Amino acid sequence: MSERRHRFWHDVVKYRTLLLMLAPAVLLFFLFSYIPMSGIVIAFKRFDYVGGVFGSPWVGLDNFKFFFESGDAWRVTRNTVLYNLGFIILGNLLPMITAILLFEVGGKWFRKLTQSMLFLPYFISWVVVGSIAYNFFSYEVGTINGLLTWIGMDPIDIYNTPAYWPVILLVVNTWKTLGYGTVMYLAAITSIDKEMYEAAEMDGANVFQRILHVTVPNLYPTLIILVLLAIGNIFQGDFGMFYNMIGNNGLLFSSTDVIDTFVFRLLIGSNEIGMSAAAGVYQSVLGFVTILLANYAVRKYDKERALF
Amino acid sequence: MIKRSKRQLGLAVTSMLAATMVLSACGQANKAADNSPAANNTAASNSTNTGEKGNTAADTSTEVKLKMVLLGAKPADYDQVFAEINKNLKEKINATVEAEFLAWSDWSQKYPLKFAANEDFDIIYTSNWAQYTDQATKGGFLELTDDLLSQYAPQTWAAMPKVKWDQARINDKIYMIPSNKANEFTDKLVLIRDDLREKYGLEPVNSPETYAAYLKAVAKNEKGITPYGLESAETNNHNLDKQLLVQKNNWKEFAGIPFTVKTDDAKAQVFNMYETPEFDQLLTYYKDLADNGGWSRNALTSKSSTTDDFKAGKLASMSHNVTALGGVMADALKAHPDWKLALADLSPDSKKSAAISTQNGMAIHATSKKAERALMALDLFQNDKQLHDLVMYGIAGTNYTPEGDDKFSKTDKFANYNSFSNWSWTSTLDRVDTNYPQAAQEIEKQWAGKVFNYELESFVFDKTKVVNEVANVGNVMTRYLAPLEYGLIKDLDKGKADLIKQMKAAGSDKIQAELQSQIDAFLAK
Repeated sequence: MSERRHRFWHDVVKYRTLLLMLAPAVLLFFLFSYIPMSGIVIAFKRFDYVGGVFGSPWVGLDNFKFFFESGDAWRVTRNTVLYNLGFIILGNLLPMITAILLFEVGGKWFRKLTQSMLFLPYFISWVVVGSIAYNFFSYEVGTINGLLTWIGMDPIDIYNTPAYWPVILLVVNTWKTLGYGTVMYLAAITSIDKEMYEAAEMDGANVFQRILHVTVPNLYPTLIILVLLAIGNIFQGDFGMFYNMIGNNGLLFSSTDVIDTFVFRLLIGSNEIGMSAAAGVYQSVLGFVTILLANYAVRKYDKERALF
Repeated sequence: MIKRSKRQLGLAVTSMLAATMVLSACGQANKAADNSPAANNTAASNSTNTGEKGNTAADTSTEVKLKMVLLGAKPADYDQVFAEINKNLKEKINATVEAEFLAWSDWSQKYPLKFAANEDFDIIYTSNWAQYTDQATKGGFLELTDDLLSQYAPQTWAAMPKVKWDQARINDKIYMIPSNKANEFTDKLVLIRDDLREKYGLEPVNSPETYAAYLKAVAKNEKGITPYGLESAETNNHNLDKQLLVQKNNWKEFAGIPFTVKTDDAKAQVFNMYETPEFDQLLTYYKDLADNGGWSRNALTSKSSTTDDFKAGKLASMSHNVTALGGVMADALKAHPDWKLALADLSPDSKKSAAISTQNGMAIHATSKKAERALMALDLFQNDKQLHDLVMYGIAGTNYTPEGDDKFSKTDKFANYNSFSNWSWTSTLDRVDTNYPQAAQEIEKQWAGKVFNYELESFVFDKTKVVNEVANVGNVMTRYLAPLEYGLIKDLDKGKADLIKQMKAAGSDKIQAELQSQIDAFLAK
């Protein structure tokens, strides 16, 4: 016992610099992630200003009722998860491929230029993207329908056809985040030990073999971390995106409504903090469970690469 | 990476964060609740004290500074205009005012916090759409007794018709000084391009049928002009419902829920307006218009401003209330003198409902220690010609040009002052904008003769018990009603059956029962 305690203090002293560097992050997490967690109680209360967070009356699970009573809980949860799955798959696969291509192909100039061009959409706000999309897809004035009628085809009614939207949203989201992911994978690639490539070349590996047997395996850790982090968010819809692309168009809700937009729409008028908190708790709990499961799966497969 | 993990915080933590930020405010909220009744008492006893001394003017020997909370953007010319107001106010009642402005974008969140945190302010803007009932029942406002009003706001007390005071009562008590405008209408109508109508030799627009003929003619002949532009795409029903369903049939509107009552029904039977034969008829009317290009097929996704589009000639018609359309009309005619515009009432035979007095008003904070002087200031803002002109229009010659005693014209700098909720001081002293179109004035004059007062006029639905149902039914309307009405669903009967089924599933019956019981209780009083 005393041996262990001794060891602990010994370690503290030994790693004092590292611990000091860790301290701000831990402090921030504690302040902004752990302390606010006590606010979860709001999800079980009818919040009023007089009582405040802790003094408001308890209402049990009443705040969760609106969500499940609506009959839409399953639909929006399904949409959220499916969209996020799509985003995770495309959002990791394409950046990985792009990064590998850029790494293999480019002269320095070309690489930098392409990288910046790809990154640019990341900085465009969803509000602007929503307007751009409207000018593309509108029935009367949209570019796409302009082109279609020009080549003699019938215009298509994109904003009133739910079936198009999963594809559109996947494409738009990928277009917007591709540059960001590419940079991350590119960074991972450049940190791969050059000697491995030299050795591969000595053994007579061609470009494709080099990519398949050196680059890709070395990207696994990055991939796993990014996927695990993303999976924790799988129940959170990107509100900015869905709200600005779809807005209030009820006709599209069957295929585009996610938890966040649904909750926003329901509660915008009622000012019920408790109900929004309930929706948040629902998302977080499901997300927490999913990430535990995913991490468990990774651990089973390869202990080294699990997040925790 | 940092970006990603930040996103991870998500809705849950954000709301908790927000809640913790409120935490500090809430600590004080208890105090606010404890204080307010006490403050109420002091204020009341003060007034009775002075009352006993006889109706002498209030003691203004010490100078006070009144804090005022208003809605809207802080005017660019705030310093100049308020310096002038203060000079005047100091002379008359030895007080000055300082205003704080809650921006339109987030006033509804900040407003309740002002009370919850028991901030130090004396006067606050309020309205039936700005939490008047909420804050009054929660004890945020000082009760304005007849004694208080007659003593400290004598001019207002004399000028305000009794019915306006009565409309401002909550459980028999008054908490605001309402605006005292003769007639403000909440009824809507449409603005059309009369030059286009004449071009196609159509009858004047004065009914749903003539309006449809006009919209269809524009759709057929005018490439590049959309016939009808939505007031807002952020809605759960058709923007014309208010005119073609509620106003036409003399029903009472309850915003956000599908229920209504006939204004002339003494029993006030609540019914769902989307289950009536009137609605079936209207649906065919809408479908016909939609199929003939009456509005954009993407109406529900529209991203543009209807007002701007109309002024730019991209729209042939829009709907709104008479004041707003009058403004659009004046601007559009200035930019396009060759246009002819007309305001059309689509249900000219219906009764008109004037806005009730709580549409705009000023209240005193329950914990204000300067309630007397605050009332005196409000009295002057509404009824003292000099101060009224200042608070309503800014500085003469700079922000507006006075024309005679009752008219004015806007200068370029009008908007530098007129950016906030000063409507609460409208009164009989108001000036009329000389550019306000004759047509709009005539409509107002006509309507004034048709104003209908009914018992339920000032009834407000308290949704607390059916919050879940109201939220869910609203969502059903967005999803099933709006697309149906805008003609985006082919099979009307099936669309309507779906709508009714989903509304029932979302709990519409419970809302109906609650609304009915509240109305019955209101009428029983």
